[in-house]
Amino acid sequence: MNKIATICPYCGCGCGLYLHVENNTIVGVSPVRNHLVNKGSLCVKSWNCFEFVHHPDRLKYPLIKEKNGAFRRASWDEALRLVAARLLEIRKSSGPDSISIVSSAKSTNEENYVMMKFARAVIGTNNIDHCARLCHSSTVGGLADSFGSGAMTNSINEIVHAKLLFVIGSNTTEQHPMIGMHMLDAVDRGAVLIVADPRKTQIAGLAQFHLRHRPGTDVALLNGIMNVIIDDRLVDIPFVKRRTEKFDSFRALITKYPPEAVERITGVSAQDIKKVARLYATEKKAMLFYSMGITQHTTGVDNVCACANLTMLTGHIGLPMTGLNPLRGQNNVQGACDMGALPNVYSGYQEIRDPKSRKKFEMAWKVKLPRDPGLTLMEMFNGVLKGDTKALYIMGENPAVSNPDVTHTVNALKKLDFLVVQDIFLSDTAEYAHVVLPAATFAEKDGTFTNTERRVQKISAAIEPVGESKPDWEIICALSREMGYDLNYRATHEIMEEIALLTPIYRGILHHRLEGDSGLQWPCPSATHPGTPFLHRKKFAKGFGTFMPVDYVPPAEMPDSEFPFILTTGRTCFHYHTRTMSRRTSTLERECPECLIEINPSDADSLQIKHMNVVRVSSRRGVLTGRVYITENTPGGVVFMPFHFGEAPVNMLTNPALDPSAKIPEYKVCAVRIELIK
Amino acid sequence: MKKNLIMDKNYLSYWLRQIRKTMSLIAPMRLKNADIVFKQVDNIHEIELDCPASLPSPKEFLLPQKEYMFRFSKNSVDVLKDCTKRLIFGVRSCDISAIDLMDRFFGEKFVDEYYMSRRENTVFISIVCNNPDPTCFCIGLGTGPFLKSNFDIQLTDLGDRYLVETGSKQGADLIRGYSHLFSRPKKSDYDDQYEVILSSQSKFEKRISLENTRQKILNEKINDLFWDWIARRCFECGGCVYACPVCTCFNVVDRMEQEGDGYRFRIWDACMFKGFTRMAGNVWPAEKKGSRIKQRYFHKLLYYPDHFGRFGCVGCGRCTITCPGHVDMATIAHRIDVGDRRRR
Amino acid sequence: MKEIYLPIKAEVVEVLDMTPDTKLFKVKPERPVHYQPGQFFMLSLWGKGEVPISITSACGFHEYVELCIRRVGYITSAIHEVKPPCDIGLRGPFGNTFLAENAKNKDIIFVAGGLGIAPLRPLITRVMNEKKRSRRIALLYGSRNPGEILFKDDIEAWQEKGLQLFLGVRKGLQFILSAGKKDNCLLSGSGPAAESSRIPKISFKNAYAFVCGPPVMISPTMITLSTMGMDENNIYTSLEAHMKCGVGKCGHCYVDGVHLCTDGPIFSYAEIRKRRLQIV
Repeated sequence: MNKIATICPYCGCGCGLYLHVENNTIVGVSPVRNHLVNKGSLCVKSWNCFEFVHHPDRLKYPLIKEKNGAFRRASWDEALRLVAARLLEIRKSSGPDSISIVSSAKSTNEENYVMMKFARAVIGTNNIDHCARLCHSSTVGGLADSFGSGAMTNSINEIVHAKLLFVIGSNTTEQHPMIGMHMLDAVDRGAVLIVADPRKTQIAGLAQFHLRHRPGTDVALLNGIMNVIIDDRLVDIPFVKRRTEKFDSFRALITKYPPEAVERITGVSAQDIKKVARLYATEKKAMLFYSMGITQHTTGVDNVCACANLTMLTGHIGLPMTGLNPLRGQNNVQGACDMGALPNVYSGYQEIRDPKSRKKFEMAWKVKLPRDPGLTLMEMFNGVLKGDTKALYIMGENPAVSNPDVTHTVNALKKLDFLVVQDIFLSDTAEYAHVVLPAATFAEKDGTFTNTERRVQKISAAIEPVGESKPDWEIICALSREMGYDLNYRATHEIMEEIALLTPIYRGILHHRLEGDSGLQWPCPSATHPGTPFLHRKKFAKGFGTFMPVDYVPPAEMPDSEFPFILTTGRTCFHYHTRTMSRRTSTLERECPECLIEINPSDADSLQIKHMNVVRVSSRRGVLTGRVYITENTPGGVVFMPFHFGEAPVNMLTNPALDPSAKIPEYKVCAVRIELIK
Repeated sequence: MKKNLIMDKNYLSYWLRQIRKTMSLIAPMRLKNADIVFKQVDNIHEIELDCPASLPSPKEFLLPQKEYMFRFSKNSVDVLKDCTKRLIFGVRSCDISAIDLMDRFFGEKFVDEYYMSRRENTVFISIVCNNPDPTCFCIGLGTGPFLKSNFDIQLTDLGDRYLVETGSKQGADLIRGYSHLFSRPKKSDYDDQYEVILSSQSKFEKRISLENTRQKILNEKINDLFWDWIARRCFECGGCVYACPVCTCFNVVDRMEQEGDGYRFRIWDACMFKGFTRMAGNVWPAEKKGSRIKQRYFHKLLYYPDHFGRFGCVGCGRCTITCPGHVDMATIAHRIDVGDRRRR
Repeated sequence: MKEIYLPIKAEVVEVLDMTPDTKLFKVKPERPVHYQPGQFFMLSLWGKGEVPISITSACGFHEYVELCIRRVGYITSAIHEVKPPCDIGLRGPFGNTFLAENAKNKDIIFVAGGLGIAPLRPLITRVMNEKKRSRRIALLYGSRNPGEILFKDDIEAWQEKGLQLFLGVRKGLQFILSAGKKDNCLLSGSGPAAESSRIPKISFKNAYAFVCGPPVMISPTMITLSTMGMDENNIYTSLEAHMKCGVGKCGHCYVDGVHLCTDGPIFSYAEIRKRRLQIV
């Protein structure tokens, strides 16, 4: 038996684990004890992360859709030739911008880089995006405006030394269990834990203060807290003076949010707001954490800016154990953003509009590159329906379940002239594809993942790819050679070399430095640089931190007499996203086999619904049915549903209203009606 | 069968190399990230004996996390049984005690043929533990740091030589034919062994009496509120069960590959999961997390002693390392024993 | 070594629809099997999994086995799709048995709710066949509606041999639950088919009871029977649990120090109380 050290493919924590391999089969998993993130622990998903690799549903060879709509097995040669020919044809007839690329936060950095290069250098379009659009685009946008860099400012292993943890809109113990573990450690060492979440999550149950604000009122809550801080003269004046700008206009706005007014909007008592504000402002080692509860709103960017304002107001940034920490969802969503799988930047957030960086990439890649930013994820699908987008290349994503208002997305998928899906399983999206290419899983390839704390870590192949499947980067390279651009690497470390060459924040990150260690945190500007555990030391990435005055705006859709409940979506700790991996893991699937609709006992009483009854949930966009789970953890007037289930696609209900700048849809609030099915 | 010998340390690698010709050699190795894991030995010099415990316990060689049981097709069923001969070298006493418990569990009433097939082909060389981890508490349970019986071969590190004790036929088989490597022990060797054991015993940081804990539970000093309170910190990861060298629960899963073709495997399961006892038609006998934790600890602290005369815990401390919420055997036993119900 | 996990092949010979969601499967195992009342088989469908099913045909050494299966979960639904001739897998028989020997020459009361009649059927048949004139035996059988009364032919045959039958339908459960509340009367105000307020003519002090049915029925029934003077050691029931192996290894059915599959599934009320077993 051999044990291969690699990184977990699920959430953004980036836990180290061993895959136990016997006869080219993975037979077990165990945690890495000397890993800085998980320290010998794993969550239930990680402990079972190997089972899907050998699932019989794995795609083992390329598939081509016949005229009658059925898939048939094809050779790699045939499939790649077909894809190349069709893409070239569409580029010729409708221009490069009629092709869009969806990259993947599940794939490695190297693969995202290659995909980004493929889109820009081979196809010639900036239409490349990935699912970060749906989770943290508001972070990337909001923090770029406030600080100049949208990533977690601190490291996970600093958490235990913090004295105050303020968690807003994150179900940390379930969604980032190992970060939750560090938080509990900090609490054990005397740290104060404050949780703001409408639901009573596990971590909220362990907090000293649990603020249960109404969904979508985060800006009001944060403004209320800042109002108290300003009123009580707890502002870190030297910090504000020396390192920030535009404080005055911000202060003028905050005066509109006295705690009593905020209580009326949020439902959190003025007393609690004052207490929390004073605690947060007076403790120097205070870390603020947020996640989807902040970002997935039409006011996502505003929410993020409000969080940033709070840290700047109190000077709680730029020091160890002190900062603002967005918790990223996917194992490599940070990396996919870093690699420039976004419509407006190259790797390392180098602006496309900046002629200097474009020049650099043009020289390195020896082609002319497009000048204008491309389409974002939701715009791509809208573009299909408008007729602008003709072809879509989707790598390792499942928008047919994960996009908001999926009916719209499915219509778009059906309308496409050409759809290529590259995945490990035949996902709901792949059903609509013209060509399906089988990809290798995390256990079958080399590369790097970047976790939520910017830690770039090496993954190693434990087994040979199953069937004829291939790592994503090999597929893309082969395809681009077919299309006449010589994308040629012998191994992933060669790709990393090129990334390091072209990306200042990754300049010192090379595979041989990551081997057998817990990796390096970017920015890492040279081959001897030890990495950067916390950001914005002495100076913000953009120079001065900017106070962005943000006003409370209610969610795009509020409950009314017709749809009287607020639906908020989230995840459970047993499943991951659209379940393509976790539903093929026996233990996880058994724990949570169906979508349970959580409602408060008082609402259940008034609707005369009993535990486990089947109900119909409808919104203005769709209807679904499921069983009710009655729990105090969900507040009155609110319905909670996990979005994992293709059988009960909660995103048929959600509102596709977008944040005006980040284009993130409002997954967290929409209005629904519940009816008992007799 | 019990036979004691002395072996010069310089002969160890030769001896192991000879044995490796007939069976697969597995031993603790230090990886690049400084972790200790049991794996197949390529280079005998890389074996680490002076090291902390490996986190995955050696139970994975007898009851792997995932074990294929049958491959079936329309007309036939193949029984997939592992008969690889293995020598597992450098195991700690606590793990040998755990394996003894597993032997008794899988060997009683209905004999589990998959376990037994692996067990009969596996021989263990254990080592008297001379550097317990801060998490270890075998000393209070009689499962370590050394064993008096139930081992195949037990080594005691006496500086330049090992005291080699054989305790089973399988163990004796390993020594047969290598008499030129061994000599008879002198009285001074036993004195040295006694010293080693004394010094090892003095190194334990944790002293936990599970007997006191058991008595407190039997006297009904612990109510369900205690377990609910513990449950608040449980992440439901199953890590305590997966890492435990005594826990044996498994689930059986079928997977179809094509029409009529597929395989049936078993995979570690954990009583900490809600679905573990779920019955068809959405019946959840153990819906409350607290009741599941209680069940697990009652099993280890009450039912194991009733049935096997020993605790279902060998004090290896792995659950202490792996539990993200720090609600492991040592913590819970300590809380019950000294009555500290406050948060740490 | 004996293969405890390898199912033997069994041919499904006949499938009878009992009710819309219950079917009776007559299967012929590769080799004849010997079993006792109360035992169960692990029924195996390759590619789907295994599920414990109690035996409902007359006990002893038989070439054919009858299994009465209600569609409730993933595997039972798959079994319902089976059309003869077709092979399934069987392991067993497993579990302990109803100790009818102790009840020899004693009065017996059987209480069955819904599908609970299935595991009791071999026992009732055996008892009725061995029955002497003087022995009094009663069956209280409740089901959701008249259409769901199973094994009507058997019940008639038992009645011919002197079984006292008390049927309760529609409000079948209440029929059994209300037992003993009024004037020590085991039957009171039950559904339309109830046959007046009669008490089974048995001597409760020395009688034995065998109770099978849904969990909501079992514990109130056992409490009632014990308040009517029955010895707790003489009241038996069959418990259910999630099982994967049936041989006491997988751990799923392990509760309060017993493996329901090997130490059970039959327990006396006294044992249930002593061990505080949960009836679910």
